[in-house]
Amino acid sequence: MSLGSTSSGVPEKLKMDGGSGGRSGSFGKRRPAKLEELVESLSRAYNEKIGHALGQHEYNFVLSDPRLPDHPIVFASEGFLRMSGYERDEVLGRNCRFLQGPDTDRGTVVEIRDAIREERACQVRILNYTKQGAPFWNLFHMAPIFASDGRVIHYVGVQTPIAPDLASQAVPVELPAEGVVEDGAVSSELEDQTPVEMRLNGGGEAKVDEEDDAEPAMVNEDLKKKAALAVQRVTGELTQSCRVEGAVLQNRRVGLSDCAANGVVSSSLMLSLTRIQQSLVLADPSLPDTPIVHASDVFCELTGYSREEVVGRNCRFLQGPDTDPEAVREIREAIQAEKPCTVRILNYRKDNTPFWNHLHVAPVRSATGKVAYYVGVQLDVSDADIPMRGDTMSANAKQLSAVGVVRVAVRSLQGSGLRRSFKTPQPN
Amino acid sequence: MLTIKRVETVVSINQQLDQAPGCGRDCLGNCCIPGAKLPLYTFGVKRTSGFNKRAHSGSDDHCVPEDTGDSDDYGNSDSQQDNYFLDELLLAQWEDRMVRGLFRYDVTACETKMLPGEHGFIAQLNEGRHLQKRPTEFRVDQVLQTFDPKKFNFTKVGQEEVLFQFGPSEDDISEYYEKAPVLASPNVVAINVSPIEYGHVLLVPRVLDRLPQRIDQDSFLLALHFAAEANNPYFRLGYNSLGAFATINHLHFQAYYLAAPFPIERAPTTRVAYGRKKGGVKVYELTKFPVRGLVFEICNSMEDLSEAVSNACIYLQNENIPYNVLITDRGSRVFLLPQCFAERQARGEVDQEILDTQVNPAVWEISGHIVLKRRTDFELATEEYAWKLLAEVSLSHERFEEVKAACLKAAFEQNSEVVLADTDGFSTVLSNGGTYNCVERANPTLKGSQKTNSSMDAVVPGNHGEGLSVEG
Repeated sequence: MSLGSTSSGVPEKLKMDGGSGGRSGSFGKRRPAKLEELVESLSRAYNEKIGHALGQHEYNFVLSDPRLPDHPIVFASEGFLRMSGYERDEVLGRNCRFLQGPDTDRGTVVEIRDAIREERACQVRILNYTKQGAPFWNLFHMAPIFASDGRVIHYVGVQTPIAPDLASQAVPVELPAEGVVEDGAVSSELEDQTPVEMRLNGGGEAKVDEEDDAEPAMVNEDLKKKAALAVQRVTGELTQSCRVEGAVLQNRRVGLSDCAANGVVSSSLMLSLTRIQQSLVLADPSLPDTPIVHASDVFCELTGYSREEVVGRNCRFLQGPDTDPEAVREIREAIQAEKPCTVRILNYRKDNTPFWNHLHVAPVRSATGKVAYYVGVQLDVSDADIPMRGDTMSANAKQLSAVGVVRVAVRSLQGSGLRRSFKTPQPN
Repeated sequence: MLTIKRVETVVSINQQLDQAPGCGRDCLGNCCIPGAKLPLYTFGVKRTSGFNKRAHSGSDDHCVPEDTGDSDDYGNSDSQQDNYFLDELLLAQWEDRMVRGLFRYDVTACETKMLPGEHGFIAQLNEGRHLQKRPTEFRVDQVLQTFDPKKFNFTKVGQEEVLFQFGPSEDDISEYYEKAPVLASPNVVAINVSPIEYGHVLLVPRVLDRLPQRIDQDSFLLALHFAAEANNPYFRLGYNSLGAFATINHLHFQAYYLAAPFPIERAPTTRVAYGRKKGGVKVYELTKFPVRGLVFEICNSMEDLSEAVSNACIYLQNENIPYNVLITDRGSRVFLLPQCFAERQARGEVDQEILDTQVNPAVWEISGHIVLKRRTDFELATEEYAWKLLAEVSLSHERFEEVKAACLKAAFEQNSEVVLADTDGFSTVLSNGGTYNCVERANPTLKGSQKTNSSMDAVVPGNHGEGLSVEG
């Protein structure tokens, strides 16, 4: 399919900016989380006392939501704002990477990223920067909190600046009794559960250049315990303020493989999926009737359904009276043969208006090599007989890029995926 | 002369075929290039010195650091920072070739797992990657070899395997042209038909110039730009020198996606106090990792990082020390790994059990991603095995200390000239600065002989004369 040439003879340059949103989504861009999504992230999980409960602590911390695009901050404490020098509206909705800067150790960043990927806690020493650009060493302690179905609802991130002068750090700290978890949540033993990683990174014994701008600060035990306590306290508030009793947990109750088997898309996989600006669904063939387990925002915009209305249903609800059974048969046969297919099929929105759907369906395999999902990428081509041309990549290319993103993500992140497994230590 | 026998990996379909002259196969040779059209991606390049945000920036699937400071200070708009066009283009093109059946097998159908243990070695069972052919003999004691046009090289690749041309824009804006004429000296990105993972591609700088497998300033900088422009921490580039398990003596880098950290990226490091202000680059040494190596990290400028690493590579090449290079973290972190496995194998010093698994430890294996041919090896693979394999790769402590000191000296020496001696005695003098047509470099030391095209030549349609006009 050629795009032809412009009259000036210059090869048609495709604009990288496909515009914001729209029926086809945009290529090469990612959309930030919307304000209502940030608000709902908290209100869905916690009761209205949460603001007060979190506000009474002096700690510097944020809550972030890994199931929203780009894992944004949904709550920031006063302490955090004072420490970082930002205003609240400069922080909410952004990924907390803005704290990092030129001299931040890349290896430390790998570790944080991997903790999120493995859905576990981590504690690292990292160089951060205030809004004014002043560097400071930060003992960053992050921990996930879980829903009862095993998905990560939020990450709690506590920042404890490390003063350069060690002597001033001897602060007596009240510690919780050993083995007791403040919120009383039961810590269950599961194959996928991981211990808190208490490794500290940042080149502790490094021979450092005198030319370095920032001296790496040492971290003593008290500081580590202080940070751990802060996380415990904040997590405690969250689990106690949950909207539904027992719905928010400090420890994972359902392992990653079991999550997947139940049709739950893990937060680390979701993080990859939410970057896709196309209309797509993931359907799970291992569950009865191959239900949808994830639908993108653009899909919901395109079809008029909310995500809750479609997850758990087979996508045949998009078919209607004038849908060509041939097209349906083609899709079914491709799925049975575990092959991709592209069809042009008449679908119907929630309000029963029809649209022509340029649909690409492909099997997606996990680390086991077996098909874990079918991905369907939709494109509304009602306005033109051929897939869109002009100022973005060809429609087919956009659909294929969505498939590619899903393939890379599902291969490593679906089920237990390519993650390290740790054995839980037995409690006495 | 030291040699080992190994089965060559097929990276292009035409590699298996004998080609007659005038092949008529739509390859990249002089027979097929004239009039050919390929997509073209040009990446924006900041022309002023200063902090290159791209290396650090961009969002990610997971929480990833980004630089602070106003974009105004560096004249970079936010939209450049958040540009994922190349990433999505590459995935779209690769998936397209999958649908068209151009790969020898479906790599996503290959079972893969993370081996138990804290290092997280990744093993894959891939029975289809390796041909059931007779192994061919490879010379392992000569890192620099002259290009042999009779052997397979990337000008023989079918155009359908080429995804796009890749080069610098004239300004700091990236552009994409779906159909463009093939440039005079294009850098191309092609698929690897025997992929290790999804998205496995080959970056071939100045493919038509038929450069042998050896790193030079400009090609390395191009590779860093490719990594940075893809803007994805799970998209990494690798390079194998001859003697370190490069199969094809035609300059190329490899790259693919894997949404997991490599063990080498997790490995702790200690800072080497060398060259921060001098070179504008931070240097570390790997600790608690079976292979000894250096890690170079960006400070302010990608050019500085590139210069330091390529100088070190050029030193290793000239000293005939085989090595591998891994580019990670969007081009901001580079691992340099001298190795001696092949030499030890040729001398019969490697454990037979290790040899039986038939793993050639190239850059991906050293990073901790190991492809195994036999199911039993895959079932029984452990972290201990991976460690044992890689321990055979590493230079000894004493030898590494020598090499490290010399590499760092080479990396940060300013204005030095490196004399490159070809095997047939012909010497080329390369300056430290390299060529970079549209940029004013701090130390341009262009010698008369340095007139060849650079992989970083700015892409200006029609710029290279020869009547190459731009058509729609």
